Amino acid sequence: MTYEVEDRESRLTDPVAVAIRLRPQQREGIGERFDASDPHQGLDIARNPLIARILHNRKFQFLLILPNQIIFWTVIFVGLMGTAVPGLNFGAAITWYVWFCLVFVMMVVVGRAWCAMCPFGGFAEWIQRRSFFQRTQKTLGLGRKFPEPLARMGFVLPVGSFLLLTWIEEYFNIAGPGNPASTSFMVIGIVATALVFFLVFERRTFCRYICPLTSVIGTIGSMGSVAGFRTRDRDKCVSCQTKDCMRGGDEGFGCPWYTWPASSDSNLYCGLCTECYKSCPEENIGLFLQKPLTSVVAPKRRRADVAWAVALLFGLVLYQQLNALSFYNSFDGWLNTHLHFPHYPNPVAYLGMILLLSVVIAGAAKGIGVLSARRDIEFDRPGNFIDKDSRFRAYFLPIAYGLIPVVGADYFARQLPKFFKSAPRVIPAVQHMFGFAGVNSPLYNARILSDPRIIVVQVCVIALGTLGALWAMLRITNRELVPVSRNALLVRTTTLGLVSVCGAVTAVLYVAMQAAN
Amino acid sequence: MTQSILSHERAYGAHPTVQVLTDRCAGCQECVIRCPTGALSMETLRWVASADDDLCVGCRQCERTCPFSAIVVEGPMLVEPRIEPEPVHPARLLGDISEIRSGFAGWPEALAEAERCLQCPDPTCVRGCPAHNDIPGFIASVRARDLEGAHEILRRTSTLPDVCSRVCNQAAQCEGACSWSLAGGVAVSIGRLERFIVDNLEVAPPTRSSEANGLSVAIIGSGPAGAGAAWDLFEAGAMVTVYEKDATPGGLCVWGIPDFTLREELATRPWRQLSRAGLDLRCGTEIGPDDIDGLLFTHDAVIVANGAGVPLRLPVPGADLDGVVDATTFLQGARAALEFGGDQQGFRSSLGLASDDDSRTPNVLVLGAGNTAMDVARTARRLGMNATCIDWLDERFALARPDELEEARHEGVEVCFSRTLTALRGEGRVARAELARTTQDRADRRPKVLSENPEGREVDLVVMAMGYRLDPAFTDVLPGTPVRKESHGVADRRWTASGILANHNAVGQLALGREVGLWAATLPVSDRLWVVGDALTGPATVVEAMAQGRRAAAAVLDARPARPSRQDREQWSGPRRVLVCYESVGGKTARAAEAIADGYSAQGVVARVLPIARVGAAELAATDMVVVGSWVEGFVVAGVGPAKGMRAWLADLPRLGGKPVGIFCTYGVSPKDTLGEMRRSFQERGAVVVAQAAFGPKELDAKAGVFGPRAFGEELALQIMTNEATYVPVE
Repeated sequence: MTYEVEDRESRLTDPVAVAIRLRPQQREGIGERFDASDPHQGLDIARNPLIARILHNRKFQFLLILPNQIIFWTVIFVGLMGTAVPGLNFGAAITWYVWFCLVFVMMVVVGRAWCAMCPFGGFAEWIQRRSFFQRTQKTLGLGRKFPEPLARMGFVLPVGSFLLLTWIEEYFNIAGPGNPASTSFMVIGIVATALVFFLVFERRTFCRYICPLTSVIGTIGSMGSVAGFRTRDRDKCVSCQTKDCMRGGDEGFGCPWYTWPASSDSNLYCGLCTECYKSCPEENIGLFLQKPLTSVVAPKRRRADVAWAVALLFGLVLYQQLNALSFYNSFDGWLNTHLHFPHYPNPVAYLGMILLLSVVIAGAAKGIGVLSARRDIEFDRPGNFIDKDSRFRAYFLPIAYGLIPVVGADYFARQLPKFFKSAPRVIPAVQHMFGFAGVNSPLYNARILSDPRIIVVQVCVIALGTLGALWAMLRITNRELVPVSRNALLVRTTTLGLVSVCGAVTAVLYVAMQAAN
Repeated sequence: MTQSILSHERAYGAHPTVQVLTDRCAGCQECVIRCPTGALSMETLRWVASADDDLCVGCRQCERTCPFSAIVVEGPMLVEPRIEPEPVHPARLLGDISEIRSGFAGWPEALAEAERCLQCPDPTCVRGCPAHNDIPGFIASVRARDLEGAHEILRRTSTLPDVCSRVCNQAAQCEGACSWSLAGGVAVSIGRLERFIVDNLEVAPPTRSSEANGLSVAIIGSGPAGAGAAWDLFEAGAMVTVYEKDATPGGLCVWGIPDFTLREELATRPWRQLSRAGLDLRCGTEIGPDDIDGLLFTHDAVIVANGAGVPLRLPVPGADLDGVVDATTFLQGARAALEFGGDQQGFRSSLGLASDDDSRTPNVLVLGAGNTAMDVARTARRLGMNATCIDWLDERFALARPDELEEARHEGVEVCFSRTLTALRGEGRVARAELARTTQDRADRRPKVLSENPEGREVDLVVMAMGYRLDPAFTDVLPGTPVRKESHGVADRRWTASGILANHNAVGQLALGREVGLWAATLPVSDRLWVVGDALTGPATVVEAMAQGRRAAAAVLDARPARPSRQDREQWSGPRRVLVCYESVGGKTARAAEAIADGYSAQGVVARVLPIARVGAAELAATDMVVVGSWVEGFVVAGVGPAKGMRAWLADLPRLGGKPVGIFCTYGVSPKDTLGEMRRSFQERGAVVVAQAAFGPKELDAKAGVFGPRAFGEELALQIMTNEATYVPVE
């Protein structure tokens, strides 16, 4: 007996579907909007079956977080209970000599790799989800939306928290050479704040809007070579009726970072948590690599909050370089006497200088705009902080993005002395927890590199960053500024000149810092 | 619509404003495609949503559908006030059973109300309606004054629009899920618009398919579930025999709902039409649980739709005293007494109440304050009694329709919430009820009984009207019943996307739970035996029972079951449909599933391949054989078993009565008892596991030449083609 091959049409249809008359999705312009920032399909590493299996595994992120969780709870306990000698205290040594430097390396290469394994957000998220790794249905906490006026500030808010944390660190001299107890209190403070935010607000509101590191990792991480989780076929995502990647599916939570892989044009807000990858029922999301600096150069939507974050962060690192110079001590002392503030760093000087330096950067961009902008273009568009457009913004936003490699290099270079001089101390610090080793240990006094060589490395890092910034700025200028400028040569010269000046100033400051020492 | 908005704006001045939080807006267009007025579009350069406040009416559909809470609407809702005809209260209640609720007075009222509908692109009211009526569709027809068109739309999903429009609790269903309602406003009067259609153009009789399909189906019960199933099967050309134990068809719609809510002529309308068209309706024929096997022998399929008719009784001291009756006894007796020429005095006497010459009005205590209790109390008022309903629920969580509660109070029924009966006292006959106060803080929490302030009441009659339960004699022979209407796991994202579940909306959660029952009705509980309505999911609503009946009818027509004695059994069943579903992580299991499907194709059988995430009751119901595969999770020997996703899927499986199932797994080191675990899950749900295979690295290598997935598919194909009548279960 044989059977016919044709399929019998089922009578069991969902009657709801008949009554749905959705408006058509807008597809016009979507291609041009994302063409430049879409990674090459061949760079999707999730096509590899082994990687796919790892990324699908719900324990993946848990296993990334777990070692860091152990380390940072050890930091807390050893910081409070252990020796007060910073180089021998595991808490202070691992935090300030190794971790900070490693985070910078990770962000420059991978983007938000740290966010994927962060023990602070990770711990709070376990509690919020009431699970270490399982896909749970009910979350703990109030699940509130972050207030809109604050959300509109975007990256400016976390830059504020980074400035505050840095000021506290300078005030209590927590980082250098390291204060174990204060380090513990600082970590406890971050964990507690994260926990409160995770319990009051939905998803990773803390990580997106508050975390002191998010603006640094977000901006500098855009140099990274990991594009993050992106759509494999945008058409399929646009047509998708369920948006599991945003709302959460059977296998994964909705994106904790408020990112849709189909409209992601940079790695700015991809926390590499793999939830979208797990939840997509169509296997339409991949983990893409990209050329370095792609997320700096390619995005067509320039964000004002990111631009201001870059300027403020540059201001902060320049301030830190300046305050290592000999003139600063007398200036700070003079200011403290007049303002009756008893301690370094004087907050007025701290904030004032950072704001001044960032305004100088913005002013330079404004100057380029005044010199170059075409008169026949209407730049102004009203709106709130995140939305509005103006001639100043038309120049400042792209220029700030172009400066990211210099800023990143500057931050990285700033961490190097501590790493080169003190990183070997982590080993005696570990031994010390178990009653071995002390200040006489050879590793305690060992250095990877000493001062004159460190300066060379720092200058090389700055040079590399400046070269990257020149390349990025040239691409950005050609694509975004030349069309709105009267004179292409003028705008190219001025933007590239600005990069060169910034690079040169930071390099010179490192040399000057060495001289001051 | 535009006129309506403008007139509102003229009247109130204010206008809603839409704020898109562009920092978080991901440009997914979920709001754009669902905005009823087209107020949202995309801003191409930044790829974020952009709103035109002038077009916004404030329904907040965008807020509810945005996955990232990136849109906020503030300001008033621009909608005209709802047209609300007053109930027609009889001047003299005693003995009057005329219909209380009135429809729209005429076209102007109906059109004005229809204009309030936003015609939402993803209408939440449709999901809120248990039958999933195309509500915007029939309202659009009303606007176009096209009653025939409206009927045609209703007919696709409902066989009882005249009944449902009168008895449905719309506030907890379609109207509760109306966009205006979800936004905190006043819903469109969907029930009254549906009633307007059927009041002005009668429901047409069934149109039987010109080709008799030879399918013979027995339906037990003629309530709404039976009516839904019988109508569709009859129209499709099946030979339908309906067995009803009462003398009048209609079940609960007739004996359980008084005439002042639903006239008997409407409740029996479908049966009159079906009988006239030739359906075999056998009233006065009681079918017991032991008779089902006999029916399965003589019919290709049997649908059990006999409801949940066993009244609940409160086990309190004194419950066995004279003067304590259940709602069924009271309502059935009262119906006969209130009919034209009925013996009201005789009914009162049968309840042991004093005769007419006693000037004292009897006090009836009704236990419960749900819809049945309201019916009892209101009927008691029409029989000249004082009626008091007590319910231990807090009034905020009352189960009765809000309008019914209001009507009952208007008719003089005293409704006391947060009270419970603790004892009945009396010498042989009940004379006093002892009540305690209760407190309840959440709808899903059981009320607490308080010891303070107990109270006593003089009563002449107590009617237990807390509801009904299933007949245990039937549940014993119907495996898997009753089905709990609880939705597990992540809610269907299409439902989430519509916005009906936003803000933890109770109406949405109820609707989602109902889907479990609706889809369970499509799957047989055992070979060729379907159960629908209250008999499947316990006491529910008329519309839900009707919808389940229709789903079961569609499933029967789809499955084309054949009784063993059927001569044309093999030809009748036709080409077979196979579903191969899998849980894969690295792609190996998915490839194995594809290879199994290839094996089927090689034998001339078409197989559909789907990941289990996309396989629900609908897909399972629409297939003749299921093949299920999982990768093996675990570490070498520890925790080895089916993948977690597969385990969760198996735990949520509905009954698969008699369905043949093949199972397979792919493993690296050892499958251990993976297949056993899967097999037991299927067997617990009534499926017949006909074959199983574990594929290791060697078997998955297509070039190895050993027994692999493709050969497994071919073997299964041979089984379905040659051995379907007597599948041999794997042990």
